[in-house]
Amino acid sequence: MVDKLKSVPEVVRTIPSGSHIALGGFAIARNVIAVVHEMIRQQKRDLTLSQGVVGLETDLLVGAGLVTHLIMGGGSLDRFGPAHCVNRARETKSLRCDDYTSLSVCFRYLAGALGLSFIPIKSLFASEILERLEAGPAASDVKRSKCPFTGEEYVLMRALTPDVSFVHVQIADRDGNCQIDGARWGNEEQAKAGRRLIVVAEEIVPTEFIQRSPERTIIPGHRVEAVIHQPFGALPTTVYGCYDYDADHLRLYVEHAKQPERFKEYLDKFVFGCRDHWEYLQKLGGLPRIAELRAERILGY
Amino acid sequence: MQVAEGTKGRNTGSDIRATEIMVTAGARELHDGEVVVVGLGLPELASVLAKRTHAPSLATLLETGVMNPRPKDPPVGLPDSRVFYRATCLSGFLDVMGMNLHRGVVDVGFLGALELDRYGNINTTLYKDGSGRIRYVNGSAGGNDVASLAKRVVVIMRHEKRKLPLAVTHLTSPGFVGGRSRQELNLRGGGPSRLITDMGVLGFDAKTHSMSLISLHPGVRLEALVENTGFPLHIPNDIPTTPLPNAEELRLLREEIDPKGLHLR
Repeated sequence: MVDKLKSVPEVVRTIPSGSHIALGGFAIARNVIAVVHEMIRQQKRDLTLSQGVVGLETDLLVGAGLVTHLIMGGGSLDRFGPAHCVNRARETKSLRCDDYTSLSVCFRYLAGALGLSFIPIKSLFASEILERLEAGPAASDVKRSKCPFTGEEYVLMRALTPDVSFVHVQIADRDGNCQIDGARWGNEEQAKAGRRLIVVAEEIVPTEFIQRSPERTIIPGHRVEAVIHQPFGALPTTVYGCYDYDADHLRLYVEHAKQPERFKEYLDKFVFGCRDHWEYLQKLGGLPRIAELRAERILGY
Repeated sequence: MQVAEGTKGRNTGSDIRATEIMVTAGARELHDGEVVVVGLGLPELASVLAKRTHAPSLATLLETGVMNPRPKDPPVGLPDSRVFYRATCLSGFLDVMGMNLHRGVVDVGFLGALELDRYGNINTTLYKDGSGRIRYVNGSAGGNDVASLAKRVVVIMRHEKRKLPLAVTHLTSPGFVGGRSRQELNLRGGGPSRLITDMGVLGFDAKTHSMSLISLHPGVRLEALVENTGFPLHIPNDIPTTPLPNAEELRLLREEIDPKGLHLR
């Protein structure tokens, strides 16, 4: 049997520059930080990124100058602040940004996951979101059309089939059977739309543990190419049931992300200055800090 | 979805805060047995107040897939685990936004806004700063979907001229665009029904779809409200006063729903 357990650098080495990557985080939750840091260290360039609601992971890749095309439904770092790097890149027009909505990006992934080439939606009408998509390079991804049965007007959107989808999950077994606790936003559609699917798991469990509650398996192992075991791999973002977000570090990040020069300092210290995620965790405060952030069992944060 | 801004300190001429009047007015827009998709902040507080008073079987949905949560601690945003506490269902976008909102079973979309214009169009994408430069902010997330698809939309925001312009800087989420009907706009949802600010409650004229005044909050002068609005309003001859929260509503808000005053103070 093929061993799917891989390290972060091993997986990232298999991703060519120019790939379309779909990320499974939402603002400050379940971001694949360990993977994103390694992509920056390995300088994977010219990326297309898609995501329902962007957050820290996307802001890092955009800030590092590795993204040329962003497909997103919006996003921020919640109360900690805006996604400064993403917003700045849009203001300076240094990337192509196709602006959608949470549901329309989710529907485009759903179409991809179902093997459909397009999907109709009733959002977007009469908005500047649709107008801008139709007026730019994204015009080849959206089209207005009537239902052949009822005549109702729809916006048709081209399916999204990312080259690689990444999702951070609480538990997986060595075959890649994944269980996600808490709200899942667009994870199932985004994961299953990917041509390749890679999961980052907080904990690798025996298959017998998955077999105890198989109804909770959101992504079945046969769809998963590789499993990365990286405990605390989403920090400073939160993983429900495992740990809270690191509010201090998110504040520090937002302070740096406000200005390109300071963002570079952040990357130098916390990304280029770290060999791997363990070293990064040391810089966040190591075990004492992790112990503080560990989730309480009833609350899950 | 945008987090509605806290509106602090506007004088109401009593010890009742404008935010408390806003949340109570918001709660009264929600009826028992309805399904509401809420943003965090004041919309969520209003849904909790409604549920605790006249609408115990209100279903409260959040775009991330959370239903009927009873958060114990204040969340920083929608994906915060604090929002999941005691939820009756944790699913995802496709469930809440697809099989509820897109399906047409959501009665009320309850949103905040950066800007809102006379036809109830909402901007949450960008603004022009002092020097006229475009600045991007959060974008739509689920805002456009909610505004397009909910049977009616209630918006809660601070009453300021720059936030209530004649036309929004960017039309993120449609109301009655150009004064046209929702049918003409190919939209399934019924569109904006109420704007609740810290000065009054406003609605939309059935014919012109343009904004009209429904009630003034106690202590607010009509001239002040008009001055702080960036477009002409329909003003009725007799202007009612927005009812104040009653003793029980105030007690719930202050002692149980937002005891630390994070949104209300």
